Amino acid sequence: MEIQILERDDRNLSFILKGVDVAFANALRRIILAEVPTMAIDKVLFVENTSVFFDEIIAHRLGLIPLTTDLDSYVLPEECSCGGTGCDQCQVVLSLKVEAKDDIVTVYSRDLVSQDPKIVPVSGDIPIVKLKKGQKLELEAYARLGRGREHAKWQPVSTVAYKYMPQISIDLEKCNKCGNCVENCPRRILRLEDDQLVITNIIECNLCRLCEEVCPSKAIKVSWDERTFIFRLESTGSLPPERIVEEAIKILIRKSEDFENELKKLR
Amino acid sequence: MKVKVLEKTDKTIEIELDGEGHTFCNLLRKYLIDDERVTFAGYRIDHPLIGKTKIYVRTDGTIDPIDALLSATERIKKDAETLLMLFKREVGE
Repeated sequence: MEIQILERDDRNLSFILKGVDVAFANALRRIILAEVPTMAIDKVLFVENTSVFFDEIIAHRLGLIPLTTDLDSYVLPEECSCGGTGCDQCQVVLSLKVEAKDDIVTVYSRDLVSQDPKIVPVSGDIPIVKLKKGQKLELEAYARLGRGREHAKWQPVSTVAYKYMPQISIDLEKCNKCGNCVENCPRRILRLEDDQLVITNIIECNLCRLCEEVCPSKAIKVSWDERTFIFRLESTGSLPPERIVEEAIKILIRKSEDFENELKKLR
Repeated sequence: MKVKVLEKTDKTIEIELDGEGHTFCNLLRKYLIDDERVTFAGYRIDHPLIGKTKIYVRTDGTIDPIDALLSATERIKKDAETLLMLFKREVGE
């Protein structure tokens, strides 16, 4: 097994995972998508809402706002000592009070005041509702940890995907350097250099096999390595991407430990 | 995670897993069929909304099916631990 980071910033991560089976890569992908917990608003208590939106619509919009998550200080309600009724360890209260006094006011996610400075909206520029003069919105929102399989608002990533590592082989004896493949490649990864066909950035190849199709001498072959994957994930901002992958692997370890313990009970 | 044995013989076992879907079961299936003593391994999700999965394992008789399941789980755990270690090293923690 081998790992190599390709790109990395505060929101995105792409890496090559070598020497594992598809089932393993897929398990990792599915855990990232549906089982790594994040914070999201789940219950909203409306004190006053004279806006044009129904309470339910505002509650839904609030739920979809990604919140920065602190996995070390919070636990899932079902694992909490309070039994899931809501305490300091499994719940955060965010309050919002906006009134349009003399002009139209847009309520943004930045207007949410959190009880915990670590749990705040990822971006303050998410509009929630517009208020006309005289309208008022006052509410208390309760955020908790949850998993993507329950509701997509708890997904830590906006996308996570993998693809096989492409392999392009060129038969130099058959190649007549016509340049058809160079012209047709949508990712522009082939180039003619010093009268020789070269592959520049194979990771970009999307396995469309257009080059194979347009080659008059059938000198080019596209294949892929079934045990090497290019993973790409994009965090919503609730957790750093490295943390998401780390948590996912830990969840997989925990799953196998759980299953092992259950099996041992059978004997 | 809850495991219930539905049927068990010397060579076969059918278990019901409560709370796990394709994520873990497909992985388990793959690791089971990598074991040459296992002649068949498969899983079935009867209803997509009811989170119960049935796993069926048949071995050639040289190993108890529960042991085959245990060995597959151990290999999954080992691979996940290796990955965690490599990943942590790669991101520099």
